[in-house]
Amino acid sequence: MAGPGTPASEPGKASENYRPPSARGRLIAIIAALLIITNVVTGLSAFYLAQPTVTAAALCPGTSGASRAPAATVVTTSVATDSSSSQFTFHIDPPFQPRAATVTIVGPWAGPEAAPFLRVLENFTRITGTPVTYKNIRQEDLTQILPTQFASGTAPGDVIFMVSSFIKANGPAHMLKLTGNISDAKYTPGSLDPVKVGTDNYGGVYTGKVKPGFWYRKSFFAAHDLTVPTTFQEFKDLVVKISKISGIRTPIVSGDGVGWPLSDVTEHFIATYGGAAMHRALMNKTKAWTAPDVRAVFADRLVPLLAGKCFSEPLEWNTVALTNWWGGLHALYFMGSWITGLVSNTTDLGVFSLPPLTGTARGIVFAGDYFFVPKYTAIPTEAKQLAEWLAGKDGQDFQVKQGGHIATALGVPLADYPAVDRGVAQLMNGVEILSDLDDTIGGSFQTNFWSQLQLLWVSPNQLDSVLASIQAKVPT
Amino acid sequence: MTTLLRRLLRSQRKPRPYKTRSRAAKATLRLVFFVPAMLLIFLFVAYPVFATIGVSLFSSDGTFAGLTNYGDVLGSPDTVNLNGFPKPPPFGTLIHNAIWIGIHLPLSLFLGLWLALVLRDVKGAAWIKTAIFIGMVTPLIIGGILMLYIYDGSIGVVPKFFDTIGVKGLAVGWMQRPVTLLFGLILGSVWLWTGFSLIVYSAGLTTIPKDYWEAAQVDGTSTFRMFTRVTFPLLKPMTIVVITMTILWELKIFDLVFGATNPQGGVGGAADVLALQMYRYAFVQIPARFGAAAAVATFLSILTMMATVATIRYMVKR
Repeated sequence: MAGPGTPASEPGKASENYRPPSARGRLIAIIAALLIITNVVTGLSAFYLAQPTVTAAALCPGTSGASRAPAATVVTTSVATDSSSSQFTFHIDPPFQPRAATVTIVGPWAGPEAAPFLRVLENFTRITGTPVTYKNIRQEDLTQILPTQFASGTAPGDVIFMVSSFIKANGPAHMLKLTGNISDAKYTPGSLDPVKVGTDNYGGVYTGKVKPGFWYRKSFFAAHDLTVPTTFQEFKDLVVKISKISGIRTPIVSGDGVGWPLSDVTEHFIATYGGAAMHRALMNKTKAWTAPDVRAVFADRLVPLLAGKCFSEPLEWNTVALTNWWGGLHALYFMGSWITGLVSNTTDLGVFSLPPLTGTARGIVFAGDYFFVPKYTAIPTEAKQLAEWLAGKDGQDFQVKQGGHIATALGVPLADYPAVDRGVAQLMNGVEILSDLDDTIGGSFQTNFWSQLQLLWVSPNQLDSVLASIQAKVPT
Repeated sequence: MTTLLRRLLRSQRKPRPYKTRSRAAKATLRLVFFVPAMLLIFLFVAYPVFATIGVSLFSSDGTFAGLTNYGDVLGSPDTVNLNGFPKPPPFGTLIHNAIWIGIHLPLSLFLGLWLALVLRDVKGAAWIKTAIFIGMVTPLIIGGILMLYIYDGSIGVVPKFFDTIGVKGLAVGWMQRPVTLLFGLILGSVWLWTGFSLIVYSAGLTTIPKDYWEAAQVDGTSTFRMFTRVTFPLLKPMTIVVITMTILWELKIFDLVFGATNPQGGVGGAADVLALQMYRYAFVQIPARFGAAAAVATFLSILTMMATVATIRYMVKR
C-alpha cells in the first residue's frame, strides 16, 4: 500500500518525511504560462494601441524620442533641488517682548524657496514688532483643507497664500475684504482683478513669476553658433538646427508634473500668436476653445512642432527635465522665472519669448502669488497689517532683491533686481501682462486642461477632440 | 422599624428567584458591552453612511435634488465614456475600475498562489517573501510616485527594457500615453499587491495536512490534478479572503493613481477611477459638488457591498 521508497515497516514516518512532490514542474509551467499569456496579451494590446495613427514627417529629424536617442551620458550638474514637499513651521519673534498677537501666515514655499521669504517676514517683525509664524502648506493640500475648515468656521492661518480662482470663489463667504488696505493704484494694472468680486477686493498680490519664454544656456548657444530667433520661421529653423546637434534628444524639453508646465507653454503660444486679446477672451470665457482662430494657433504653430518631435515627451519638470536640459540633452526649456533659483549658474542663463507677429498685441503671463485674510481670524487688525506689508513696495522690494521674484507693486526700482531677473522684468516692457489662464479659471477646468494638453503632447493628431474636451469643462 | 421588619420578612417569604436575578444581571452586563460598541458603530459607521446618502440627495446650493446627482454621475462621460469605441482610454471611471479588477485580480491572485507554492520549501524563502511583501507595506502614494520614474521615457527601467529587446513601441514614457498609462499602473499595482496573496496563501498551505498530498501521490494522481482536486479546494477560505480584499482594494483605488498622475487621472483622464472622481468633485471643482461626490461615494459603497456579498455567497455555496 505504501508508495515506492516508503518502507512498509515505518508507516508513520511517511507524512513526517513528506516533501512536496518533485514533479511540480507541470503545475508551475501551467501557472507560469497563464501569467505569461496574460502579460503578453496585455503588453501586445498596449503595444498595438500605442502605435500612432497618423505618421507625419518629423520637423526635427533624428529626434524621435527616447528610443532613438543616443545613449544617455552621465550628466553631472549641480541643479538645486526643490524641497517644496517638506512641510515646516517657522516662528519669528521681535528682539523685545512682543505686545501684538502672533500672526500665522500659510505659504507654499519650503526649503531654499522659503529662506528669502522668511527674511521678508523677519523684516516685518523687526519693523512692526508683530511676531509671525510661517507654516508651509502646499496649495494642492489647501484645496482639501480649506473647504472643511471654512465649514467649521476656522482657518489654518491668519494670512493664507492661495490660487486666485479659489479666493474669487470663496471670497464673499469666507474672506475679509481688503479693499481699504490694498488698492489698484499701487499695482501693475490688472494685478488685483483675479481676486475681485465686483468692486470688492478679497485678496492681495505679493510678488509673482513671469513665464517669459524659452530658457537656454548661453554657453550652448555660443558653442553651436545659435542665435535668438526674431520670426517664427527663424524659431522653426533654430529647432531644426538644434535637432541635428550630436547628443541632442529633442530641441525642446517638455517639463511636466500634474500638467501645468505644458499649460504654460500653450498659454505662451496663445498670448503670442492669438494675442493678449484672445488669451483674455478665453480666460473670461467669452471665446470658445473650438473657435477657428483659437484652433489655428494650435494647428499652425504648436501642433507642427509637437508632431515634428521638436518637443520631448513630457518629463518630470524639476528633476528629469531640468537635469536633462541643463546637461545638454535638450537646448530649450519653457519655464517660469523661478528657474533662476534652480540652476547653479544664472550667468549662463538666457531667455527669449516666441517671436511676435506684427499687428498682434502680444502678452506675457504673469503668475502672481495671491493671498487672503480669512473671516475666521481672531486678529484681523494684525493680519491685515501683514497683508498690507506683503502687498506693499517695501515688502516686495526686500523679496525681489533676493532673486527669483518679480514685484507687482509699483515703485520697485529695476536696479534692485539681480541681473537675470532684471532681464526677465525687461521682457515685460511693451507687452500686455496677463494672468495665468488656468489658475484664474481653476477648478476641474484646470485639471482637465492639464490632462488634455498631456494628451495633445503625445497625440497631436487628436487636436480637435482635445479642444472639444477642454471646452466641455469650461465653467458656465 | 415595623415596616423594615415586614419588608425583610416578605423578602424571606418570597425570595427572588436566582434565575431572574441572573438574567437581569446578564442583560445589564450585555448592555454595558453592547452600548459603547453600538454607540461607536452608530457614530463612526452608521451616521456617516446615512449622512453621505443624505448629502447625495442635495445639490450644491443646498436644494433637494432627489436622485439627480446619481443621474448626473452615471450619465457623465467621466463615469462611462465608450463613444467611438474601439478607441484608446479614457473609457470612464466605472470601466477603468472594471478593467482594473479584470486584469489585476487574476494576476495578483495567481502570482501570489504560484509564488506561495514555489517558495513553500525553499531555503531562505522567508527573505524572498519579505522582499515581495515590501510592496504591500509601501504607501501607495509612494508607489504611484515610483511608477512615474519606473515608466519614465527617459530614465525608466521599463522603457529601457523594451528598448533593449527592440520593442520600440513600448520604449516610451508609459505614463505619458493614454493606452500604456492604465495598463502600466495596473501592472505596477500587481507588484505592490502580490505580497498580500502570497502571505495569505503561504499561511493557507501550512494548514493543509501533508497526508492528503501523500495519499494522492500514492494513488498516482498527477501534479495538476493534485492541485485542482486537493490543494486549491482546500485553499478556498484563503481564496475568498484574497478575492474579497483585492476587489475592495481595486474599487477604492485612489492613492496610486493620484501619486502617479493628477486629480484628473493623468493624460486625457486615461487612468481616472471612481475614488478620484469623487475626490475631484469634492475638492477640486469650484464650486465643490459635494452632492455629486456623495453620490459617487454611495455608488462605490453599493458596488463594494455587492462584490463582497456575491463573492462570499458564491464561494460558501460551493
